[in-house]
Amino acid sequence: MRFVFVLLALVFAVSASAVEEKYDFTNDEQAALFTELTKELRCPKCQNQNIADSDAVVAKDLRDKVELLVKEGQSKDQVIDYMIDRYGYFVHYQPPVTPATILLWILPGLIVLGGFAFIILRQKKAAQKASWSERDEQQLQKLITRYKRKESA
Amino acid sequence: MNKKWLVLTPLAVFILLCAFLLKGLFSDPRELQSGRVNQALPAFDLPDLMAPQKRWTNADMAGQTYLINVWGTWCPTCLAELGYLTELRERGVTIVGLYYEQGYDPDFGDRFDLTALQQEVRDMLARAGDPYQFNMLDLDRQFILDLGVSGAPETFLVNGEGKVLVHHTGDVNERVWRAKFAPLLGE
Repeated sequence: MRFVFVLLALVFAVSASAVEEKYDFTNDEQAALFTELTKELRCPKCQNQNIADSDAVVAKDLRDKVELLVKEGQSKDQVIDYMIDRYGYFVHYQPPVTPATILLWILPGLIVLGGFAFIILRQKKAAQKASWSERDEQQLQKLITRYKRKESA
Repeated sequence: MNKKWLVLTPLAVFILLCAFLLKGLFSDPRELQSGRVNQALPAFDLPDLMAPQKRWTNADMAGQTYLINVWGTWCPTCLAELGYLTELRERGVTIVGLYYEQGYDPDFGDRFDLTALQQEVRDMLARAGDPYQFNMLDLDRQFILDLGVSGAPETFLVNGEGKVLVHHTGDVNERVWRAKFAPLLGE
């Protein structure tokens, strides 16, 4: 029985390590940068996957290229620019601020501001209605006396 | 007056949302923006697929308007478009093949068999039509990466000054040719 468990454990251990690909960095900083970049760069073939996740040929080529550029000592921005030059803004998960995308940044702010404006306007209107004038008071007294008489009659 | 306008607001929002979603229904997510359009073609220095001692560089194509077609024998869509591309060649369009070898990966200790590949290419072109002036082999896929190619087939239109005018992803057919390529060639 124990033998079976050991065997099972071994099988799972092997399959778990087989998925990982080997990218060796001597420098911890570069290894961290590599991980960060492969998570942030998007696979142009299998969309909605980053290049760390994707098994497409192009994703592997991009990973290898990122490894090479990072080992050359290029900075994060340099690597991202290298990829954008070739694959367009699509390849980076963080869209840049351009005239076409500015709406994405402005719209949420506009909606919040619009909401506040709406609330303030409504409160102002409500406050106007709530104001109680001398004439209202007289009208009220008149109505009260009229209905009182009716009740007693 | 104000109240009436308020009542119509949900309807307006609904109509806007419908318009937005309807537009999304007809947009193609595979239609990618390319980083290379309107820029100079990246430098290449690649061996000929059939005669590897011959090397091709940008200088060989200077002054010519031509297509670069990225393809592979492993790619069914490439096979499908060979017929139409051959038709284009007969109409006088210069087409250069850029062979995308995707099986080969030196990291996994793959061995590359050029003779077998040449035979495969010869067979396929004999069967489906040969649109190419020549084919270049980009074994390490560096030029392919420089071009921003994500798969095959992809087709580039390059002008005489070596500028990329079109980067098309997917097969080239009559409809695509008329919409994307022909207007730029003054056809």
